[in-house]
Amino acid sequence: MSQRKVLQGNIIVAKAALAAGCDFFAGYPITPSSEIAQYMSKEMPKMERAFIQMEDEIASLGACIGASLAGKKTMTATSGPGFSLMQEHVGMAVMAEVPVVIVNVMRGGPSTGMPTKPAQADMMQARWGTHGDHPIIAVYPAFSEEIFSETVRAFNMAEKYWNPVILLLDEVLGKAHMDVEIPEPGSYEVYWEKTHQIVDLNIYDRKIGENPPRIDFFHGYPIHIDGLEHDAHGWPSFDAKTVDKMQKLRMQKIYQNLDDIIKYKEYFLDDAEVIVFSFGISARSALAAVKTAREQGIKAGLFQALTIWPFPRAALQEKFQKIKKVLTVEMNMGQMKYEVERIAPGDVEKQTLLRANGMPFSPDEVLNAIKEFVK
Amino acid sequence: MKHFEIRYGAVGGQGIITAGALLVDIAVEREGKFAIESPTYTAAVRGGPTKVDVLIADEQIVFPHATAIDFFLCTDQRPYDIYRDSLKDDAIVIVDSHLVRELGDTRHWKVYPVPIINETKVGAGNVVLTSVVSLAITQKMTDVISYENMVEHIKHWAPKGTIEMNMKAIEVGMNLIK
Repeated sequence: MSQRKVLQGNIIVAKAALAAGCDFFAGYPITPSSEIAQYMSKEMPKMERAFIQMEDEIASLGACIGASLAGKKTMTATSGPGFSLMQEHVGMAVMAEVPVVIVNVMRGGPSTGMPTKPAQADMMQARWGTHGDHPIIAVYPAFSEEIFSETVRAFNMAEKYWNPVILLLDEVLGKAHMDVEIPEPGSYEVYWEKTHQIVDLNIYDRKIGENPPRIDFFHGYPIHIDGLEHDAHGWPSFDAKTVDKMQKLRMQKIYQNLDDIIKYKEYFLDDAEVIVFSFGISARSALAAVKTAREQGIKAGLFQALTIWPFPRAALQEKFQKIKKVLTVEMNMGQMKYEVERIAPGDVEKQTLLRANGMPFSPDEVLNAIKEFVK
Repeated sequence: MKHFEIRYGAVGGQGIITAGALLVDIAVEREGKFAIESPTYTAAVRGGPTKVDVLIADEQIVFPHATAIDFFLCTDQRPYDIYRDSLKDDAIVIVDSHLVRELGDTRHWKVYPVPIINETKVGAGNVVLTSVVSLAITQKMTDVISYENMVEHIKHWAPKGTIEMNMKAIEVGMNLIK
């Protein structure tokens, strides 16, 4: 008997969430993410953890925010249409600095779109779906073991940085049954900051770059948590200096910790002449293509982004010092290619392979695009 | 075997997602191989054309959809029309002889039309056993998993009180193609 098991991608997410200490889940089922809620509804009661099926996705994220303030590690899972509904509360969680993990198993859109077909078209929605300037963390695994490790990491980062973390998947990865080795508990980090007793009513007061402490919402002092811009105490304030500081506090807790947050994988980039930039299911097509390209003597390599937001700018720019061609492969009509174009120096040639018809790229299609590009 | 690709085509409700899931479970958990099953289906609960790709290999599978298919089993005309791309030359093709009538150009494949659904109803007693019948046909025609592991796994997997009918379904599948 092998150590490896067969699990559906969605179930790997659910198992990893429980392993990371998720003790509150509120959600509303939607294809292709429903198995996450289904699994949680079965397993969480047995562990004396809370599962609630809410009336819709707006309420789902609302419930998670409330539970998180009460000290729970929370998650919700959805797909594009539900993710659209959640955007108002994404902003609320950013503004009030509330940790929560939001899973979006991407399907064809917009609107109801293609529920059973994969897409990678919510990349920008993950970044800018809610209004206002705000920091966000989004991760996107591609292989079975990464689905586990990135889910755990999503919880760790939500807790550490008191911010919503978006875990992106696509229909293929969510629905496929794949072999996976679930690591032993203790072999991976689970970040868990104990709830603080409030000693100071200025709950948001800290130095720029520092993380806020976990607040015990229900004990001690009356505190104020609000979606309005607020002062260190949490009370509404539109004083320009205060607003400036609070904006910086929220931004810099993320941007001063990029070393911890940014994660990517590289394959065959050492001597590559062309970088394939990709993520999720397309990164799997691209890796298969790059391997075949190498067998045929074509010097291609893959940069697989695991952290999508913040964008792995510095790492990619370093590659551009030596490698002067980049091919962005994504299942949309062009989203992350703009990030690549924005950061690539002028002497780097940019090419894309884009499609949003519900069909993942075959390795041959990526290989042909590489060949065309290096010709 | 280094890398083997299987595709099941059917209409929603015929049980091929179960067949694929069973095959992957047996390959990974009983035989220590690497495997992945990717379903493609429509928004219809029942009746939409469906396919399941099952990839089994000795090393980690990078791309999870089939691109060079060794074995294709199909129980309806519509998925046969849509999903018979990417078949290798010499691929084994099993079709339901009542439900797939228009075969088109099959020169490069070894085609076996057999009454899968009918025999499942008559021989095994219940059409829901199509998944296990399809699994048994796959085992017999490809050897991609062992017969013993298949039987053991089905005994372990089958809900209480259904082991006998599942064993009957394996027998039906094994005897459909002589």
